[in-house]
Amino acid sequence: MMRHILCFGNPLHGDDGFGPAVYQRLSQLPLAADVRLFDAGTPGLAALALFRDCAEVVVVDALAPAGHPGRLLELAAEAIPLESAAAGHGHGVGYLLAALAVMPEPAPTVRIVGVEAAAVEPFRPGLSAPVAAAVERAVALLSVYFAPQHHE
Amino acid sequence: MARVELNLSLNRVEGDLEIAVVLEDGVVAEARTVGTLYRGFEQIMLGRAPRDSLVITPRVCGICGTAHLYSAVLALEQIWQVPVPPNAVRIRNLCLIAEGIQNDLRQTFLFFAPDFCNPRYRDQAWFAELTERFEPFRGSIYRQTLAQSRKAVEVVAQFGGQWPHSSYMLPGGVTIPPDLRRILACRAVLDDIQHWYEQVIVGAPLDEWLALDSADAYFEWLETPAHADSALGLLSRCARSLGLHGMAAGTRHMLSFGAWCDPQQASGRLLPGGFYDGDSATLSPFDQQLVNEHVRHSWFRPYPGGRHPLNGETVPDFQPNSDRYTWAKAPRYGDKAVQTGPLAELLIGGDALIRSLHAAEGGNAWLRQFARVRRIAYELAGARRMLEELAADIGQPHILNPAKSAEIDGEGFGLIMAARGALGHWLKIEDGVIAQYQIVTPTAWNASPRDSNGLPGHWEQSLVGVAVQDPDDPIEIGHIIRSHDPCLVCTVHMLDSGKKLRFAP
Repeated sequence: MMRHILCFGNPLHGDDGFGPAVYQRLSQLPLAADVRLFDAGTPGLAALALFRDCAEVVVVDALAPAGHPGRLLELAAEAIPLESAAAGHGHGVGYLLAALAVMPEPAPTVRIVGVEAAAVEPFRPGLSAPVAAAVERAVALLSVYFAPQHHE
Repeated sequence: MARVELNLSLNRVEGDLEIAVVLEDGVVAEARTVGTLYRGFEQIMLGRAPRDSLVITPRVCGICGTAHLYSAVLALEQIWQVPVPPNAVRIRNLCLIAEGIQNDLRQTFLFFAPDFCNPRYRDQAWFAELTERFEPFRGSIYRQTLAQSRKAVEVVAQFGGQWPHSSYMLPGGVTIPPDLRRILACRAVLDDIQHWYEQVIVGAPLDEWLALDSADAYFEWLETPAHADSALGLLSRCARSLGLHGMAAGTRHMLSFGAWCDPQQASGRLLPGGFYDGDSATLSPFDQQLVNEHVRHSWFRPYPGGRHPLNGETVPDFQPNSDRYTWAKAPRYGDKAVQTGPLAELLIGGDALIRSLHAAEGGNAWLRQFARVRRIAYELAGARRMLEELAADIGQPHILNPAKSAEIDGEGFGLIMAARGALGHWLKIEDGVIAQYQIVTPTAWNASPRDSNGLPGHWEQSLVGVAVQDPDDPIEIGHIIRSHDPCLVCTVHMLDSGKKLRFAP
């Protein structure tokens, strides 16, 4: 069974570009044969398809600011609450994970690698310094998905 | 008289839409719909190669990318006078239908129905039953809709490789031929959805349900357990008990471009389009010359009156502290504000039941939602027909590539019925590049602001006169706005870390 790495976010909106930045770095590295990497963007329910046909999913995303910008966290899917905006096309990952749990087939194991954002600024491309510094740390955390010869 | 102004950020709708209403003694006296996001595709397209529209414009929307692709390719084919083989039209229709089914299911059962689980309704006779079916993530229909709607768009993936934002239509056809494996895969998906729709959503076989042709017959049927206990029956009972069948008509004028191109004659439509004049209750053929857009109350560079899209412009000019209030333009048909969507599509297209219900009770919030569920039956029947025709004609071409010399300068348009209604792309090609591109979306028609004459748009009209019981929780406005199927665009995306991640330093 495959393993999927899904990088969520929109690089036009400040630290929301964390996922895409991790994608950029990972796409330059040799991943293991059973790993598929996706620049998932902000797809809403369409992302349910990316959770299919795989045993494990790693979600890479920005977390809401909570006083420690750039802090990298590994979370279980259960730790992500449903967004207050519970419906609409703007479905976030919380909604997606709740939807995944009610799909008829067994869900893959979900790991979440998140970075605490400094600020999400609409239409201001570019990561804040603490979040930019977290990109390499996230990539290191994901080194278990690299091809064996690159696995240190 | 108590006069209260409310700015409602309908966060269950989306971050890009706000509704500003003025309440007088608890009743909406005026309403403004505020589009808070500048879209900008018209400017992005300028100076690009014409075929770029097939890659860029499907990104206008994450829900109806197939409709944008379809409009864009029709516009190019009109300018270049490119013939399209029947199998290509069938595949395009099939994919557009799948996208429509996805939207109609999600809009009805994930967005509209859950509002009735509001605690305010706990004393209603239907409350327990409704919550059991429609409560987010717990309700049986809610859960089934998540699974079924995900399945629907697999049809697009068969021919488009992905959904949304796919680019598999080209001038002259589509990129992938039909083969038996794809046809069977699509068939399996649609059979499954149809079975569920018949059993759970309407409680009757498709043919029987489509044959229902009068308001009286429907109301009689609504008393039978087969339909009363179905998802639509339950929704009808509850919406009607709250009086949604007597409110929020909006503009009486309706517009449809006609649903699904005729494979045998691409300019024809399988379900006819037209303009329904609500004042005279008459239908007339649609004349695209009459489409014009106003910007008098929008944040665009001002121009007087309305402009036809081929002469239009969409130059942003944010003017806060003025009487301009939205990033949406005001499209008009002649001088009329119109509504578009499944109700317009089926009423103009000739569905006897919708026409009869409209004649009996006029336009209203319940009927708009009812029409959306009714349309799924047309979509399922239409998809089946496309698959049967593809299977019978499987060896026929799926594309006739035009010669490079056919790609001439000129102007044209592509008109389609998207999930939310009439969608048009108008463009001009000069010196081989795009010199003008204007997109008029269904939501532009419906969520239109006031025009140069001060005439409000459809949603704005539909809210006037609605009584709001609790200004702190104006769920009446939520029911009405969601019955219009508001389009929303994803902007900022964040994991909400909630309280669990708030660590003290």
